[in-house]
Amino acid sequence: MSNSVAQNIANFLREYPPFNYLRHDELIQVATSIGVVSLDKHKTLFKIDDKLHDSFYVVASGVINLSVIADAEETLLNKCYPGDVFGLRPFFAKNNYMMTAKAREDSIVYAIPITVFKPFVAQNPQVLDFLLESFATNTRNPFDKENRSKLITDNVYTENQSNEIQYFQSLSYNKMPLKVTANTAVKDVAQLMTENLIDSAIIIDQNCPVGIVTDTDFRTKIANGRFPITVAIDKIMSAPVITVPENVSVAEAQLLLLKHNVSHLCVTTDGSDKSEVKGIISEHDLIVAQANNPGVLIKEIKRSLSPKELKLVREKLTDLIQSSIAKNIPLPHIYNITGEIITAIIRRSVELAILDLGSPPSRFAWLSIGSQGRKEQLLLTDQDSILIFEDVAPEKYRDVKDYFLKLAKRTTTILEKVGYQFCPNGHMASNMLWCKSMSDWIKQYNNWMKMPGEKSNDISSIFFDYEIAFGEGKIEDTISDLIVSNTKNNALFFDYLGNDTLRKNPPLNFFKKFNVEEEGEHKGKFDIKNRGIMPLVDGARLFALSLNLRGINNTHARFKQLALVDPKFSEIYLNCADAFLILSKFRTLEGLKNDNSGDFINIEELNKAERERLKNALSPMKDLEELIKDKFQLTQFS
Amino acid sequence: MLDWIKNINKEYPDFWKAYLAKFETKSNRYVVLSTETTGLNPKKDVVLSFGAFGVLNDVIKIGDNFEVVILQYKYLHDNGLSNEFLIESKLPKLAEPQAMQALVEYIGNSVLVGHRIHFDIELINEALEKMSCGKLKNEALDIEIMHQKYLDVTNKSFSIEDMVKHYKLPLSEKNSASDDAYAIGLLFLKLKTLLGFK
Repeated sequence: MSNSVAQNIANFLREYPPFNYLRHDELIQVATSIGVVSLDKHKTLFKIDDKLHDSFYVVASGVINLSVIADAEETLLNKCYPGDVFGLRPFFAKNNYMMTAKAREDSIVYAIPITVFKPFVAQNPQVLDFLLESFATNTRNPFDKENRSKLITDNVYTENQSNEIQYFQSLSYNKMPLKVTANTAVKDVAQLMTENLIDSAIIIDQNCPVGIVTDTDFRTKIANGRFPITVAIDKIMSAPVITVPENVSVAEAQLLLLKHNVSHLCVTTDGSDKSEVKGIISEHDLIVAQANNPGVLIKEIKRSLSPKELKLVREKLTDLIQSSIAKNIPLPHIYNITGEIITAIIRRSVELAILDLGSPPSRFAWLSIGSQGRKEQLLLTDQDSILIFEDVAPEKYRDVKDYFLKLAKRTTTILEKVGYQFCPNGHMASNMLWCKSMSDWIKQYNNWMKMPGEKSNDISSIFFDYEIAFGEGKIEDTISDLIVSNTKNNALFFDYLGNDTLRKNPPLNFFKKFNVEEEGEHKGKFDIKNRGIMPLVDGARLFALSLNLRGINNTHARFKQLALVDPKFSEIYLNCADAFLILSKFRTLEGLKNDNSGDFINIEELNKAERERLKNALSPMKDLEELIKDKFQLTQFS
Repeated sequence: MLDWIKNINKEYPDFWKAYLAKFETKSNRYVVLSTETTGLNPKKDVVLSFGAFGVLNDVIKIGDNFEVVILQYKYLHDNGLSNEFLIESKLPKLAEPQAMQALVEYIGNSVLVGHRIHFDIELINEALEKMSCGKLKNEALDIEIMHQKYLDVTNKSFSIEDMVKHYKLPLSEKNSASDDAYAIGLLFLKLKTLLGFK
C-alpha cells in the first residue's frame, strides 16, 4: 500500500546520518514504521532511570534538551535540533535511561522502533559504525561539529568517573613532575630544575603537595635579593597548591588558572592536596592542547573563508561563554574576551565582503554600535552597525556611496548567516541612513545633540556606544571629538537623554512585586532587558557623556570609572556596577538556556533566593534615577 | 438480543455485519480521517479520496494508514469534469463500493477524528446507503470544535491552515488527503493535551 506521508518522512530522514546510508526502499520501510509524537513545551519524553523505550528518536521539529543530574543540579548536555538522533541506549544496553529528554519548545519527534531498525544496523556496517562510535566516545564536542556525526549519545558516565561530565577533550601534561622536600636548599632546587629543563617544582610532604615553586618565585624572591640562595625551599614556595583530579578537562584547567591567577596546576589522585602527586599542568600544556582558547578562536576567524566557518567559531564561543559562566569567571573578563572575538568576527565579515567586491574607493570605518559597541554582547542578538566613509569629490560621491552600501549589505548578510539577526529597527550600515560620508555624519551628530527631539524623537542613544570593528581609527576619533565638544554647555541634550533614561517603566510595583508583561507572547514574564539592564546602561552612558569619559564604552567599566571621577556618589555608581553584572548574568543564563536573547525571565522558574537576588539588583536603579534628576535639569522634555 | 428482528427485512453485506460486530468492545484507537470531495452538498457530491492514520497512545502510527482515490467516473462524466487527476495519481484506486468497504474495514470501531468530520461522515453514509448498509456508528471528534473550545470562541471558523499556523506546526506543502490527515493528527495530539482529556 502506498503512503505519501511516509515518502515525505523518508525524504526528511535522507538528509541526516545514519539514514543517509540507507537505500530509498529501506528508508520507506523505516518511515512506515514510525510513530509521530507531539511534545508540548517542557514535556518530558523520558527521564533518568526510566525503563528503556522500544524506540529511538529523531527530532522532526522543535528542540529537545538532553540533561543529566550532577551534584543535584540539572546540567544541560545537549540540545537536539531537527535531524538529530537521540535515545540510542536501547540499541546497546539493557539498563535504564541515563539522561532526561525534555522538550525545550513545542516539538515533534519521530519514534523509530528498535526492532525495525536493528536489521539495517546489522546489514549496513556504516550505520553500525556510526551508532557505535558515537555511543562509545561520549561525543558531545561542538569543537568539531563539521566532522561530528549528528548523533547524540546518552552514555555519559564511564567507569570510575567522578560526577564531572567530560565532554571536553582531556589534557596531556607532564606526568613526571619534579618533586622536592621542604628542607631542600633553593640553590639545589634551581639546579634540578635547570637540569630537567622544567619551569616548576612541587614541594611534597609524604608525597602530598604542600607548595610549588616556579620561575616566577625565583625572580620575585631570590633574584631581587630578598632571600639568599641557601634558604630552604619552603620559604619561597607558593602555597597552597591548586590541585585538580587526573581526568581534568582542558576547559576546566584553563578556568582554574584564570580563576586563581596561577600558572601551574598540580594533579593529584583524588584532586585534593591530601593525596599523591601525579603530575603538573602548566599554561604551556594548555596552549598546546587548547582548541577553544580565545586566541585560537581569533586565529580561526582570521583564516575563515566562508560564513559557515565563522558560524562554527561563534558556536564554539557560545560554549566558551557557557562554561566560563558555569565556573564563575568574573563577567567583565568574559565580556572582554567575547567582545574581542565578536569584533574579530565582524572584521572578518567586512574583509570577506571586500574580497568579494574589490578594494574600497576611499578610507572608511565600520563601527559596531549598541551592545557590541559596549562590548556587552554574550548572546546572539541582532546586529547594529554604522559605516562612515571619508569625504570624496562630489562627482565621485554616488559611486563611492554605492560601493559602501553594497559592502554593508554583503557584510550584514554574512553576519546574518553567522547567526546575528538583522536589526528590526534597521540600525545597520546597509541602511542608506547609516552609511554616510564623514561630513554627513558630523551633521547627523550635530542634529542629534544640538537639537534633540526636534527632527525625530528617536535619536537612538545606541549611536553613542560605538566601537571600531574595521577601518580607519582616525574616523572614530573624529566622531568622539565631535561628541565631546558638543556636550559642553549642552543642557538640552542631557535634558533629553536624562528624560529618555527615566522613561523606562519601573521594574517593581508599589508592593515590591515584579512588574511582569501583561500581554503578548511573553505574558507573565519579566522583561529584564528593558526594565532592568537598559536603565543602567542608559544611566551609565548619560553620566559618561556628561563627565567626558572617552573611550570607555562598557557599562560596568563606565560605572567603575564614574566612581573614581565623581567620588561624592561613588557608592551609587559601584552599586550600579554590581547590579549591572548580576542582571546581565541572569539574562545570559536565561539566554543560554533558551537559545535566545534572554530578554524575558520567567519569574516562576526562579527559586526564592534567586528572586531576592534579582530584586536586590534592581534597587540601586532608584538611587541612580534620583541622581539623574538631581544633576540634570529635566524640564524641557518631561 | 433482538437485533435479528430489526435486521430481518434487510440483509446487510457481510463486511457490514463484521463491522457492527466490532462495536461489542470499546476501542482506544483513534483514526484521523480526511476526505477530498467534489463539493459541500451531501446529497449530490461524492468523495474523491480518503487519507487516514491510526493514533494509538498519543502516537501517530505512520504505518497504520489508509489512502485511496475513488474512481468517480460516472459523477465526473455527468458533471462534465475532467478525470485527468485520477489518471495522474499514483495512489491506489478503487471504485466507490470497494473503497467504502475498505474504509469501513480499516476504521473498525475506532473513534474518528477530522476537520468538520460530520460532513465527511454524512457523505460516507450516503455512499453506504447505496450499498444497502446502515450508518457509521463510530464516535467522532472534530478538531475545529476542539480548537474553538480551547480558544473559547464559537462564532469563528478555522481552516486546517489557520490552526496549523496558530500552533506553529511544521506545514507540509502538498495538500493531498493524506497530508491533511497527518496535519489533523498533529493538531489532534496538541489539542488533546491542551484540553487535557484522556
